[in-house]
Amino acid sequence: MSPFRVPGRGRIDPDRPVAFTFDGKRVEGYAGDTVASALLAQGRHLMGRSFKYHRPRGPVTAGSEEPNALIGTRRGPGRFEPNTRATMQEIWPGLAAESQNRFPDLRFDIGAVNDAAHKVLSAGFYYKTFMWPRGFWDKVYEPVIRAAAGLGKAPSERDPDRYAARYLHTDVLVVGGGPAGLAAARVAAEAGQRVTLVDEHAEIGGTLLSEPQARIDGQAAWDWLAAERDALAGLGVRIMTRTTAIGYYHQNMVGLCERLTDHLETLPEDMPRERLWRVRAARVILAQGALEKPLVFHGNDRPGVMLAGSAQTYLNRFGVRVGDRAAVVTSHDSAYHAAFDLHDAGSAISAIVDVRTAPEADLLAEAERRGIAVLAGHSVTGTAGRLRIASVEVAATGGTGPARKIACDALLISGGWTPSLHLFSHTKGSLAWDAERQTFLPDRITEACHIAGAGRGFWGIGAALRDGAAMGAAAVAALGGEAGARDFEVAADRAGSGESRTELPRGRAAGKSRAFVDFQNDVTAKDLRLAVKEGMRSIEHVKRYTTNGMATDQGKMSNINGLNITAEALGRAAPEVGLTTFRPPYTPTTFGAFAGYHRGDHFEVTRKTPIDGWAEENGAVFEPVGQWRRARYFPQGDEDMDAAVSRECRATRASLGIFDASTLGKIEIVGPDAAEFMNRMYTNPWTKLAPGRARYGLLLGDDGFIRDDGVIGRLADDRFHVTTTTGGAARVLNMMEDYLQTEWPDLKVWLTSTTEQWAVIAVNGPNARKLIAPFVEGADLTPEALPHMSVVACRFDGLPCRLFRLSFTGELGFEINVPARHGRAVWEKLMAAGADYDITPYGTETMHVLRAEKGFIIVGQDTDGTVTPYDAGMGWAVGKNKADFVGMRALMRPDLIAAERKHLVGLLTEDGTTKLEEGAQIVLDPDQPRPMTMLGHVTSSYRSDAMGRPIALAVVMGGRDRMGEIVHIPMEGGSVSATITAPSFYDPENERLKL
Amino acid sequence: MTISPSTLVPGIIAASDAATVTMAEPVARFSLRAHAAERETVGGALGLDLPTQVGHVAGDEIEALCLGPDEWLIVAPEGLAERIARTEIDAAHSLTEITDRELTFRIDGPRATELLTTGWPRDPDSIAPGQGRRTYFDGASVIVWRDGPEEWRMDVWRSFAPHVVSLLATGCAELVAG
Amino acid sequence: MLLIHCPYCGETLPELEFAYAGEAHVVRPDPSTASDEQWRDFLFIRSNAKGPHAERWRHIHGCGRFFNAVRDTVSDRFLATYPAGTPRPDLSLSEDER
Repeated sequence: MSPFRVPGRGRIDPDRPVAFTFDGKRVEGYAGDTVASALLAQGRHLMGRSFKYHRPRGPVTAGSEEPNALIGTRRGPGRFEPNTRATMQEIWPGLAAESQNRFPDLRFDIGAVNDAAHKVLSAGFYYKTFMWPRGFWDKVYEPVIRAAAGLGKAPSERDPDRYAARYLHTDVLVVGGGPAGLAAARVAAEAGQRVTLVDEHAEIGGTLLSEPQARIDGQAAWDWLAAERDALAGLGVRIMTRTTAIGYYHQNMVGLCERLTDHLETLPEDMPRERLWRVRAARVILAQGALEKPLVFHGNDRPGVMLAGSAQTYLNRFGVRVGDRAAVVTSHDSAYHAAFDLHDAGSAISAIVDVRTAPEADLLAEAERRGIAVLAGHSVTGTAGRLRIASVEVAATGGTGPARKIACDALLISGGWTPSLHLFSHTKGSLAWDAERQTFLPDRITEACHIAGAGRGFWGIGAALRDGAAMGAAAVAALGGEAGARDFEVAADRAGSGESRTELPRGRAAGKSRAFVDFQNDVTAKDLRLAVKEGMRSIEHVKRYTTNGMATDQGKMSNINGLNITAEALGRAAPEVGLTTFRPPYTPTTFGAFAGYHRGDHFEVTRKTPIDGWAEENGAVFEPVGQWRRARYFPQGDEDMDAAVSRECRATRASLGIFDASTLGKIEIVGPDAAEFMNRMYTNPWTKLAPGRARYGLLLGDDGFIRDDGVIGRLADDRFHVTTTTGGAARVLNMMEDYLQTEWPDLKVWLTSTTEQWAVIAVNGPNARKLIAPFVEGADLTPEALPHMSVVACRFDGLPCRLFRLSFTGELGFEINVPARHGRAVWEKLMAAGADYDITPYGTETMHVLRAEKGFIIVGQDTDGTVTPYDAGMGWAVGKNKADFVGMRALMRPDLIAAERKHLVGLLTEDGTTKLEEGAQIVLDPDQPRPMTMLGHVTSSYRSDAMGRPIALAVVMGGRDRMGEIVHIPMEGGSVSATITAPSFYDPENERLKL
Repeated sequence: MTISPSTLVPGIIAASDAATVTMAEPVARFSLRAHAAERETVGGALGLDLPTQVGHVAGDEIEALCLGPDEWLIVAPEGLAERIARTEIDAAHSLTEITDRELTFRIDGPRATELLTTGWPRDPDSIAPGQGRRTYFDGASVIVWRDGPEEWRMDVWRSFAPHVVSLLATGCAELVAG
Repeated sequence: MLLIHCPYCGETLPELEFAYAGEAHVVRPDPSTASDEQWRDFLFIRSNAKGPHAERWRHIHGCGRFFNAVRDTVSDRFLATYPAGTPRPDLSLSEDER
């Protein structure tokens, strides 16, 4: 056992040694140790280098608020986590930990040259310096200075771990498993509530883990804790350890991050590394205790300087003395107890320096009994020691006597305690200054929550237990239950009191003092004063100018000290200056935890058609369309997209193409008022459309702009089969429901999404009818009986079928709707039967080309939410004698009928070979000065196999009056000229539909 | 895990000591819509006393789940589909077959309810056994039926099923791991 | 994530089941008589309230109904929800008085 480990002390398991590495060197600790406690047990405080000045640093805390001891942890390839708090990371056999922000090594770091340059690196340095000269940005600032600052390196490999998520509903959520939280949970659970208790540490207990001397109701603290844990479990309380409440959101939703594997030697199969819980609690009890504040003085950041309460934790929870010879400087009683415990465990205490003039008599007596010198009314004016504190310089605050040096290898500091109200702050709950306790306490509560224990300024185990029980009872009462208050008998309690200070009196000029306030961001008291001197008045400005409290610890330790120093510099009282806001997450949280299951194949919902499996097996290249993945093209051999699309287009026009159109939105509109509803929704007239016929429908918004389109078949007088665009299906249904429910609730008509009821197979090409004829029963497929734009209910290969004759390609076309489960089987039968016709499956890219050759628009590609039916050249689709339809009134607004509106036109490049860029702007004169006057832009552009040249659609200002004019499209590599044409290129007379 | 709707077939999809996810055999499904004034007539024609409280279920061989004030999901054995579709109903209504729109997954086992909390923001205890609801599971609109304390059914639109099933399968294994 | 009370289901449910649908009580004028200005206001002019705001929501992954709500845009708290087609409640009255 190392000399700093105290046998029989702490909660580590001395029978289970655990070896890990730090910077490649083997370190031995015990089960129950953190990286920090194991290193401290080796007498080692130096664990990292600071962010800006690369100053050597060691842990100042024993918890999640740690600003200094940030390390990288590794578990094989991909499993690297930077900025891990050494004070929280439990050790396991094989853990590889490494220090950060140093080169070549932790003891000798070249970056420490920044420390010598600290005078130029003061507050606002970036704002002042990086302004000029401009050329320095690329060559000096960015690569050199910025690279020297920073914390851990982000991993570059893929994270092989899994992350999980869960929702949880509970009556009472207790955050914090210390005395207050334990008491609250017990009371609530005994009253029959569903209780969840969370704690960020490996075990519950909080302060009790660091104060085993206390006796609760006659039991030793740890025995009481063990019994209480069993009692809670017996009452069905869900106890979650290694679980951090990271954020408190609206209406009592609390986010929890549960760490499941970071402490394990071997990873159990299927176990996620972390799990994010979204907890909805009827009542929340925040029992997060208080955080100890450091004192601010010159050289307060040397390794070996540590919060007194944390030193006590290392001793009592981990059995580690943080030094052989410790000095103490404090403004609070609690540090005395840390000193006494350390003394009693065998360390020498060289002095207790109390900045207060009159410490409590019983503390002085206890010190005297141990032979510890107490220097009341004294202050620390500096420290010495390069990689570890070696001495502390002390002087009377009156300023008369000379400073004297006291040798030490650890310096315990305490500036009092700050209630941990970060989560409360997330709720926008307000804080009020409590003069007696010298701290901010919760004031206005906005959520259904209670704050218990030290969070309300109740110091000491007894007070926390009693308040916890009271708040537990209050939560029960708020839920309509009954629970009484509870008392606890606590002996050897250490409540104490103290004072809140600004920077301690200095032994040197203010400008020479390097008294750190924010350890993680390297902000000093001088920086804060400089910010005020340079005109910052608001605490929010001071924070941003100096970056005080903006590091990953969000100023857990620095906030109040920063405020006190700023207020002093402003000559105002701290409560008047006010606090900055804490925001989620409480402690840094991995991206993995937030992503949860949503990564890789499960990243987001990917909708797949019944025929998707066939496409995948047959080499389709997919593209996302809305939430769907659709086959884009089916390459053969080493075809690229252009070659495949060209082949697919050619085959479809020459003989037969087959296309999975299942993603098309389908809405069944049924009821006696179905036709009336259709009249009001779509621009077209529907009353006279006979059952069995279909029509192209255009849907506008009430602003007159095109929202969607699709072919609509009338199945019966009271039943329409509406199709929508793939991406528009949900939106269109929502819009229809909106009008139906809120504008025309009297109409007797109902809407049902049938998108997924039907698999839809489109067959197009001169041989389409020949292909399907043998499968169809109960329908006459002759052009006379089933003309273009018609629909018939029949049987297809024995299955119920809605067979549409329509065409989005310009070829003879049918869309076969069969019940979805049969989609793939029917597709495969058609593929087999189509062999005679060289049947060719095609994807969305070919579909786009074929329709563009015909000038059919794609809503959302050729329209952008500012295109009217007239702009698109589709005035023919607008019913002229209708009383109302959505968008009708807007189409009469002057702006929507102006002559200079952009019209949909065709574009053919002059050279006949250049394919225009979609989205490219169109100008009349390519040589005009910039900024050029833009007439419109290219909306669709393809190589057309049928036309033997590229074709494009575009919207051009006054385009229909510019037929034949030459326009210019500036593209990369020069301007391209093109002729404006009608937006229809192939078979404009629709001869090919007359089959 | 790449799953296509066409590769999902009735039977066990995922199973662990915590829960089992089974794809159910197909049933006939209809969306029935009618205003309050016609509710009794429409229900009567189908032999149902259509419930008026959202989430409540009525019927025996043919079941009706009230999804909204004028909306019921009708579920029946497949063989009855044609008969239901041809029911003479002498009142304004909409009856639309959606048999193939959804796939149904049965989720049961000692921790079935907990499995659902991997992607379900709603409090499962707000649904009593014997009831159902349309709700939201990991990005998909679904209908859940609670058949017992730890017995659930989930109707999922076919195209969403691969996504939903993949999470349920992941959860099944994870629940056992810890 | 908010909790929203659906007046049709009678349940208070997670926001994820709902979709926002813009300001409430914006009346669609009669298109045969509306002036250009009236139509413009209907399309584009909204109150953008700071504080209680009447707005529409749809229980889209539930009963499917559109309904109205008064939500405080400062605190993000729902003050009331009520069926579509009913007037904005006077929140100065108690629930029984409304």
